[in-house]
Order: sequence, then structure tokens, then C-alpha cells
Amino acid sequence: MGIMDKARIYSPWLYHLHCGGCNGCDIETLAALAPRFDVERFGIQLVPSPRHADILLTTGCVPKQFIPMVKRVYEQVPEPKVVVAVGSCACGGSLFYDDAPENYAILGHPDLLIPVDVYVPGCAPKPEAIINGVVQGILKLAEKRAKK
Amino acid sequence: MVDLIYTLVSLIVIVPLALFLGVIYSYLLRKLSARFQWRVGPMFRMYGDLKPLLGTTRLLQPLYDILKLYGKETVVPDVSRRRLFVYSPYLSLIFAVAAIFFIPFPGMPLLSGVPYSLIIASYLLIASILFTILGPVASGSPWAAIGARREVELFLVSELGFVLCVFAVAIARQSLVIWDISSGGQSVYLALLTVTAGALMLVAMLGKLHIKPFDMPEAEAEIVAGPYTEYSGKLLGTYYLTKVFLLYGLVALFISLFLPPIATNVLWLPIYIVAAVVLVFLLTVVQVLNPRYRIRNAISWYLKVAIPLGVLNFVIALVIWLVV
Amino acid sequence: MSTEIKILKQVLSKYSKPMTLTYPSAVAPERRYSQIPEGLRGIPERDKDKCIGCRACYFVCSGRATSIYDKDAKRTVEIFLFRCTFCAHCQEACPEEAIKMTNKFEIAVPNREDPGARVLTELDLLKCKNCGTPYVTKKLVDRTYERLMEKIDPIVKETVSNDYKKLDGYCPDCRRAYGVDLDTHTKKYVWLEGV
Repeated sequence: MGIMDKARIYSPWLYHLHCGGCNGCDIETLAALAPRFDVERFGIQLVPSPRHADILLTTGCVPKQFIPMVKRVYEQVPEPKVVVAVGSCACGGSLFYDDAPENYAILGHPDLLIPVDVYVPGCAPKPEAIINGVVQGILKLAEKRAKK
Repeated sequence: MVDLIYTLVSLIVIVPLALFLGVIYSYLLRKLSARFQWRVGPMFRMYGDLKPLLGTTRLLQPLYDILKLYGKETVVPDVSRRRLFVYSPYLSLIFAVAAIFFIPFPGMPLLSGVPYSLIIASYLLIASILFTILGPVASGSPWAAIGARREVELFLVSELGFVLCVFAVAIARQSLVIWDISSGGQSVYLALLTVTAGALMLVAMLGKLHIKPFDMPEAEAEIVAGPYTEYSGKLLGTYYLTKVFLLYGLVALFISLFLPPIATNVLWLPIYIVAAVVLVFLLTVVQVLNPRYRIRNAISWYLKVAIPLGVLNFVIALVIWLVV
Repeated sequence: MSTEIKILKQVLSKYSKPMTLTYPSAVAPERRYSQIPEGLRGIPERDKDKCIGCRACYFVCSGRATSIYDKDAKRTVEIFLFRCTFCAHCQEACPEEAIKMTNKFEIAVPNREDPGARVLTELDLLKCKNCGTPYVTKKLVDRTYERLMEKIDPIVKETVSNDYKKLDGYCPDCRRAYGVDLDTHTKKYVWLEGV
């Protein structure tokens, strides 16, 4: 394993995308980033711009008005990237989503728009579960390479 | 001839050395502020069972961040002024590296002996920061524009403080050559100047390195990532590299100007390292104890506290020059 | 300035011990997890021996995470965790107390088809004596009989019990078709009305 591959595993930066939801998962995500769990131990940092991110953390199921933003944020994250869906809403739509009859306002889980690599079900997942998901995301990141 | 070869060799050696020391200083900044916040920070010794996956130590964590950014895709926005956007980080890096050539390291005078080296070094440090403003302005992002504007305002006042304290020392020691200043002796009056001007230099360093309370150009809660919003991949990595070199350069400049003769003889190397760590510790203490200023408050604080302090430095320096 | 000094004192007093847990690592088991409260609702677990396949959980499921389908003489009761809100309604509704919420919560999975994303229970279906169509689980028949006998009016108890035993083993279609042959038609209950 070369030094560049190592560096990719050693410093995954998170971008937290809240695409509609009840805020429960967001609070748990922030708890996972706070001193009690301190993900900076492993070089994980919360970054403010999707351009800097390696891991896109999505919470909540996508309202129809938010579709272009989700796509745009996903495209703004430079390769290689990994998407971690946190919470049941982001994994399978949970209470808010159904195929038929279709909801007039909610599209459903972000999986319908962007490729998700790791799913963390839970309502809301505990911070440990989120960290577990992010670690799996890092393992997936290790397999990916930058587009040439 | 021997001197020339020694200088050339030391110029080549100082770049990786400065990178290494800068990385260690940034690691210390992160680690210490983490410990102040009752958390662990980038781990010095990784947990035993995670070593195969996550590495034995994260001492070089800032370097890993930079390397990772170099391995990533670089996105250049369509609306940017492409040339300025792409070349600014590299120019900023070149100026920062050029600045450290004029700052002595124990056992390596480098180019600090050339005439007016103090002016050259300050100019290069200013130019390096200037390009961290120009690139973002060319990116076409409103967040970057706001961040850059804040940085310009902060830069104007903090640079005034920087110049006042640096040239107060130059007047007191009657020299514009860094090597002469850093190899000079000490006296009670000069020690007094070290305290007052050193405090001002520390404040100017906070402004230049965007350490709280002066991190409003990058205030992530308000303006996304400030100037760096549109930067990604290699270009962002270059900016991070510049920051590492700037941290090393400013710490080295502080020691060589205010704590002579530490930065001259190779025998002083342990004390040099201790002084640098203490300096980084002071920066960390300021960082963890302060919330972010608003840009207006930062400027009025500078005008009320820092600039009068700088004028006081000048008066002390003039007294030392004329009377002592 | 005094505030800063106060903060600094407070910070330095705790300086030597960070409050961070060791989470993904198991080097210090007692400091691995944060508090796991008594009633934490984690992955629901179904006891295969207790479950009778009655669909009570399917009807109460708020996120439509539970689904039940019959295939190849097996009834599969499935909880799809991606849709589950961990509300424990199914635990409450289950007449056999077969569903229990465990306190396991580390459920990150890499794709939708991963076995970790589903809680599956497979139950054997009884085959119709007559036509061979699988139609219901054995346990459901037995439990229904038990519960019926508990609550029923003693006057009709014997008749109903006899009818139940006669019908046991026939699928709903065959019951309808051979109701007269087996003498289980509800017509015979009519005389009871006068009692």
C-alpha cells in the first residue's frame, strides 16, 4: 500500500448533508463528532464545503424541492468519494416514503438519486452506529481511486 | 567557496526540514487544542487492535491531509478566472518557501545575512498572504468573495501590527539584517522590548494564520469555508502546504527576532525546539479560550489595543537607540 | 480577562483525562460504549419457535417495514430495517410475545440486499389434505383453537370443537367445497338461536 493510499484512509473528511428530515439523525451525527466520541482521533474532520469532502453523510428523506441540491452537492464532491446514508429515512424512506400512492412532496430515500455506499439504519442511530458506518465507508474509500 | 556550497546545501535541506517542523507544529496545535477540549485529538499512539487499518501514529496527520488532497480530483469552476484561480496557490506556496530562506535556523544562516533581509522576508510573507486572497477572489463564489474581503480587512490591520513590532526591533538593534538581529546580545531594555513587541507579534501571527479569535475569514458557521470554498484537490492541498510553511516561518521569525541568539548556533537547537513548542502552546491557549470575533470587532480591537502597543514599542525602541 | 483565567483553570484541572471513549477499538471494554440504557430499542428479534405467522405485526407496523409472503410452502415474515423506525409497536402487538427489541445497534451495511438489513423468520406451512395447497402454519391453527376454547360459550363448545377438528387440515377453498360432506355448515347453529 503506497503512501497516497494510506493518506486517503488516514484523513477522510466529512460533509454533512441534511436533505429533509426530523433533525434526530443530525443531532446524533453532531454527537458523534463531539468530544465524547471525537472522530478527530482517526483524522476525520467535519468540513464546511463539499469541495473538500471525501465522505458525504446524508440524513433524512429527500423532499421533491430538494432534488437538484442533492444532485449538485453530490457532483461537487471530488472523486474518490463515498456516500454514507444515516438513519432509516435516508436508507429506505421509512415513514415518509411509499411507492404507491406516491407522496406529493417527498421523493424518498437519497438512494433514488445518488449511489449510496454504506447504509446506517436506525431511528435515530446511536453515535457509535454512525461511527461504525463511517469506518465501513473508509474501508470502501480505500478501494476507490481518483479518476484520471 | 565553502560558505557558498554550505548555503546552497542548507537551502535544499531547509525545505523538507521546514515542512517536517511545520507539520509537527500544526499537529501540536490540533492535539493541544483537542486536549484542552477534553478530547484526544489525532492519536499519537493508535489503539492496538486498529493499528493494521489506521496506522501506528498520527504525528504526521497534517501531512496526510495534504497528501490525500494531492491524490484527489481537482475541480476548477467554470465561472472562475482560470489562470489566477489555478496559479495563486502555487505562487502563494513559492512566496512562503522563499520567505523561509531568509529566516535563520540553528546552524543554518541561509540567506538571512543578505542586506535588508528583514524587509525581504516581511515582503515575501505579505506576498504569500496576498495570493491567498487573490485566488479566492478569482473563483467567482460569493462566499469566497466575502471571505477574501474579510481577509483583506484583517490583513491590513494585522500587517500594521506586524510591521510595527518587527521594525521596532530593527530600530532598537539598528539593523535591517535578520542575521545581525538574531546574533545580537541581550540586555534588560531589549528584554523589555521582547515582551511588548513579542506580544504584538503573537497577535499578528494569530491574524496571519487564522487562529481564533481571528479566524473570521474561514468562519465555517457563516460563510461555508471562506476563501477556500471553491478550492479542491491539489489546489487546496497547496494552500494547506502554504499554511504549514507559514506556521514554520512565523515561528522561526519570532524566535530569530525576539529571542536572540537562539536561532544562530547549532548548539541552541534543543532550546530552539522548546521555544517553538512554547510558542505553539501559547497560540493554542489563545485559540481555545476565545470565540470568533466579528470582523468589525477585530479591527476596532486592533485599533484600540494592538496599534497603540505597536507605537509604544516604537517609543521604547527609539529610547533604546538614542539613550542606551 | 478574569473569565478567561477561570476557563483556563477549569480546562487545566481536567487536562490529564480526556472524556473520549475508545469506541471502534476494544482495548478498554469498559470505556468502549456510551451509556446503553435499559429499554434501548435496537434491532427487533423474532423468536422462531414462538412466532405463529399471524400478521399482527404486519398490520401495526408504522413504517411498513414488516412484510409477510408465502412461497414454496414457507411463510416468510420479514422486517426490513431500512424502513423500520424501531417504534416497538410490533413487540406490543404480538400475541405470542415472539418479538423482542434487542439492544444491538451497530447495523451499518454496504447494500440493500445485505442479510444484515433484514430480520427474516421462515415458518413451515401446512398442506391441505385434499388439494395439497400450502395454506397456514400449524401453530396458528393450534393457537386459534386454544384461544377459541378459552372464550367460547359452553353451550356450543362441543359442537364447535368437533367442527374445528373435522375442518383441521383443509384449505379455505376445500372447506367451502366440502362443507356439506363434512357436515360443518353453519346452518346447524340456527337452532341454538332459540336457546
